[in-house]
Amino acid sequence: MEVTINTIFAVQGVRHLTDSSYIVRMDRKGMIFVPGQNLNLGLAGDPEKRDYSIYSRLQDNFLDILVKEVDDGLVSKKLKKLKPGDSIEVDGPFGFFTIKDEDISTKKFLFIASGTGIGPFHSIAGSYPELNYKLIHGVRNRKETYEKDHYPAGRYISCISKDKKGDFRGRVTDYLRQNPVDPDTLCYLCGNVNMIYDAFDILKEQGVPSGNLHAEVYF
Amino acid sequence: MKYHVLTLGCQMNMSDTERTKPVIERMGYEWTDNEDEASLLGILACSVRQKAIDKVYSRISKWNKLKNKKNLLTFATGCILPSDKDRFLKLFDIVFPMSELNELPEMISQYGIVTPASLKFPQNGGNGHEKFNVKEFNEKAALLKLNEHIPDFWHISPSYKSPFEAFVPIQNGCDKFCTFCAVPFTRGREVSRPSEEIINEIQSLIERDYKSITLLGQNVNSYGLDKKGEEISFPGLLRKIGELGKNSGKEFWVYFTSPHPRDMSDEVIEVIAAYPHLAKQIHLPIQSGDDKVLIRMNRKYSVEKYGEIVKTIRRLIPEATLFTDIIVGFTGETDEQFENTRKAMYDFNYNMAYIAQYSQRPGAVSSRWIDDVRHEVKKERFHRLTRDLEKTSAAHNKLMIGKTYRVLVRGLERKGDFLSGLTEGRINVRISSTDISLVGKIVGVKITSSTDFSVAGEMI
Repeated sequence: MEVTINTIFAVQGVRHLTDSSYIVRMDRKGMIFVPGQNLNLGLAGDPEKRDYSIYSRLQDNFLDILVKEVDDGLVSKKLKKLKPGDSIEVDGPFGFFTIKDEDISTKKFLFIASGTGIGPFHSIAGSYPELNYKLIHGVRNRKETYEKDHYPAGRYISCISKDKKGDFRGRVTDYLRQNPVDPDTLCYLCGNVNMIYDAFDILKEQGVPSGNLHAEVYF
Repeated sequence: MKYHVLTLGCQMNMSDTERTKPVIERMGYEWTDNEDEASLLGILACSVRQKAIDKVYSRISKWNKLKNKKNLLTFATGCILPSDKDRFLKLFDIVFPMSELNELPEMISQYGIVTPASLKFPQNGGNGHEKFNVKEFNEKAALLKLNEHIPDFWHISPSYKSPFEAFVPIQNGCDKFCTFCAVPFTRGREVSRPSEEIINEIQSLIERDYKSITLLGQNVNSYGLDKKGEEISFPGLLRKIGELGKNSGKEFWVYFTSPHPRDMSDEVIEVIAAYPHLAKQIHLPIQSGDDKVLIRMNRKYSVEKYGEIVKTIRRLIPEATLFTDIIVGFTGETDEQFENTRKAMYDFNYNMAYIAQYSQRPGAVSSRWIDDVRHEVKKERFHRLTRDLEKTSAAHNKLMIGKTYRVLVRGLERKGDFLSGLTEGRINVRISSTDISLVGKIVGVKITSSTDFSVAGEMI
């Protein structure tokens, strides 16, 4: 199946992770995607659509997306209310926030996420079990660490800014300052633009060439 | 029975108009420049800026008033945002995606106005008087994939506006999702035109002595990628066109616009270098010279990566002219980030840059953000960058003095004192002659003087 446009996918269910973040699961319908890509979707017949990274793995026979409810959001609030059997209109997959096949077994990866920016990394890490990576996840509290048990021990590091229950107390940028990155590491950043800008500067200061920096901004 | 079409926006829309006209004319309509005497009025809409959308509303309001006086049919096509389509359907008689242009005669014949066209194209044994069912069409259109019928559109033989310069569409739509742009939502996703058709169209243009052929698409250098190996790649297409040129024994130049730096491979540059008919002019939109702004724009390349492409161009095609597009005052752009763009202007030493002050484009992701760079600041940055461009462009032009260039003569200058033309590198040339028999020909010109954005010379 190639890129799909205006195609109706059936919802399998909505799994609530916190009060304002949830996973929408839908049929996969044989969609071929590269982990890290996104879908542009909305309710069937609704002209409003938004981009969401694919959260599920290559080997899953369903598609998951991780959604953060946005105040006054025109799409996220509607997605929250979906019921099994409801229809979603999907375009995609799109995007280039992916890793090269030849790098999977040869390179070291650093994934840096804030909030639901962990979505594409969940898909990448789950799809390539042999990947040598570390995932740094910046969130406000422990609830937002989402499904951290999905990652092998030692791979996932939560950076929690508002309580002491994380692996690291503070922001991802604080973590990066205290734990300099080997410049050969391929760094992937996903989340809000301010975190990406700050992390980008820190990594550049630590000598990571811009060719090793890849960013996907969530707006 | 006369018609008039208003074309708004870019070269893609102009090229689309060249295919729209013959379809309408096959129904028996004749072109008129005067809207008041037309019985069919159409718009090729553009959704890049709010101003262009406002123009559509203003024009249809005028046309709908004309309907009180006469039998008039109106249509809208082109780049239309999903959010505007419903409103357009209430204002226009017919609204359709460009990919369904082939069905326009059918839509007109079904509309319910007795015209020679409706008599000529009766539907399903009908009498041509049935009212076109807007609701049904709307529902159908909503379900249609935006580019599903684009191959049919490409089969239409265009009526080229110029006898010596032509646009050839090779690809439609965009998958890049730059945050400032709504093209993926108005033109749909990337679809490549079959290479055989492109080659045939170019061959026919060569036979008719066309001198300048521009391959058009939103992302020309991602040509073929949507076909997953079943179509040649962009360099492969260029190579075939280069071979056509070699075998033709004629002088002409083939350009392409616009490429995306992300897909600009060394192979593309190598092929341009290898074939004389592939013009040594490269338009490579940078949009910003700052990595963080590029991230926010979702451009998916860094300034460093862009610089590597420019280096390869300079190494393999030192004579190439380099053009770009730049947006100043994009949401969140700081003074420091703007200074990085100014630096890029000098580092990459452009011959020409199309500089735009950022404005929110309806439907684009960035239209949901606060446009937080003040208008005066954008204006000031625009002027500063234009002054920078004047310097780089003037320096290039000065180096042309005393050299001889092949120049395509395009017409008389407005005052009628000189001929105007373009070099292969698309530098404007004023030629000291008024011989209009040279229009459409490529002639040798020795450059004698230069200004910031043009040169002047004598024919040799």
